[in-house]
Amino acid sequence: MKNIAFGQYYPARSPLHALDARMKVILAILYIVCTFLCKNVFCFGALLASALLLVLCSRVPLRIILRSLRPVLFILLFTAVLNVFLTGGETELFGFWRLHVYVEGVYHAAFMMVRIVVLILTTSLFLTYTTTPIALTDAIESLLTPLRWLHVPVHEFAMMMTIALRFIPTLTEETYKIMSAQKARGVDFSHGGLIRRARALIPILIPLVVSSFRRADELAMAMECRCYRGGKGRTKMTVPHLHVYDLFALLLVVAFGAGIVWLNRQGYGYTMPR
Amino acid sequence: MATVALDHVTYIYGAGTPYEIKALDDVSLTVKSGTITGIIGHTGSGKSTMVQLLNGLEKPLSGKILLDGEDIWAKPKEMQKIRFRVGLVMQYPEYQLFEETVRADIAFGPKNMGLSDEEIEARVKDAAAFVGLDETLLNVSPFDLSGGQKRRAAIAGVMAMRPEVLVLDEPAAGLDPRGRDGILAGIRNYAAATGSTVIVVSHSMEDMAAFCDEIIVLAHAKVFLSGTRDEVFSHADALSSVGLDVPQITHLMSALRRRGLDVPEGIYTVEAAKEALRPLLE
Repeated sequence: MKNIAFGQYYPARSPLHALDARMKVILAILYIVCTFLCKNVFCFGALLASALLLVLCSRVPLRIILRSLRPVLFILLFTAVLNVFLTGGETELFGFWRLHVYVEGVYHAAFMMVRIVVLILTTSLFLTYTTTPIALTDAIESLLTPLRWLHVPVHEFAMMMTIALRFIPTLTEETYKIMSAQKARGVDFSHGGLIRRARALIPILIPLVVSSFRRADELAMAMECRCYRGGKGRTKMTVPHLHVYDLFALLLVVAFGAGIVWLNRQGYGYTMPR
Repeated sequence: MATVALDHVTYIYGAGTPYEIKALDDVSLTVKSGTITGIIGHTGSGKSTMVQLLNGLEKPLSGKILLDGEDIWAKPKEMQKIRFRVGLVMQYPEYQLFEETVRADIAFGPKNMGLSDEEIEARVKDAAAFVGLDETLLNVSPFDLSGGQKRRAAIAGVMAMRPEVLVLDEPAAGLDPRGRDGILAGIRNYAAATGSTVIVVSHSMEDMAAFCDEIIVLAHAKVFLSGTRDEVFSHADALSSVGLDVPQITHLMSALRRRGLDVPEGIYTVEAAKEALRPLLE
């Protein structure tokens, strides 16, 4: 319960930390596009190399970044196994019973793994490790501003996100406290069947919901006391500016994408089907 | 009637990470059976950690927690039994109320003990009486009570388990003076009626002075001072060196003494001060 890894901003001074948060959101999206553009071994090689380069640039220890991959490890292995056995091809590596493994299958599985790993690595690098949650929601609000023309309540949406993120650690702590209190009254969470364990959750969930409402009430009151009235006419304390290096980073990633497209044309070895 | 003791207990938060914090450092102490013992300390002195160690919510990194001389971690599977013997009231216990009625909430602990319905009913009534909760309030939803009443109901919920050792973490925090006095009186009632050992954690010297037989002062993860109330409060200088203070009334009395008024030393409560000053006025 204490090890919930979420919004794990890693404070450091690095080129990635210095980038404008809005640019990081855009770069993350471009990077996702890049991972899906990759088709052959050169592309995936370049992709993996670039992701590692980004990790180096971010100055976040690799150990901490790898931790974010732990929850998807199972999915990773599962897709790899499925891909190895279910991809058809021409050159058979080996086979037994009804299962056949082709060279293409191995390639395909490896490519999929690289794709998923890079996807998670880069998005978490851009959006969580090097960007504070506040900067991120501000960036999203700023990027979605054009939607205001369609009467989408962009500011309210961003505020809701900020508050939700802000309260995750608070509620985690609260849950832990209530659990301790009920354990002290003899609730047993670790024994008994499924139904008994589910019933043991009632004394946790009710106080938790009640206190969430209480907190929400208090927060709403505090915000109103400070004359909060939504996004209309609201100015920001820190107005973000795009710098030259933000544009440079954009240029780099776009160039990288172009490079991927060019590498795809080289048509070497196994190429992933469309 | 049980003795609680800590035997060379060390507890470290985040052990093995760069962020580790030593909450308790090789602490040994004994809480005498049948006393009301206060644990005082500044924020971060290890008080709250200590209470969670006493009923096995947390496990010490090294050392033993002894209940009547037996290590409570000897049989981890029977920890539930230990928790019925060492009742813990956490900080702001009113946030743990959840049942439909106050009666059901107070009965929650005894029900987990597997007691008979008559026994549970009797215990609920007793516990409500200890804390001064009116019997008509037993059928009300706990969420409709006032802040002070909620606190009383929550404390009654632990008292109803009739623990041999009742541990309370800041039971009077955030209450007005009347609410605070009511809670402290309730705890005293419980101790008097059952003869249980009571351990109260607080940083209010006034409460401690009015309430405790014995006092243990924690500072920098170690036991800094311990002894009877009068012994501990006679070390005013030592207390102030760790950011604690003797009660304000004691300051007033020593100021009066410096000005030449003939008042005795060792006065820690307003009541005692009243007694000492009355003859001078008459």
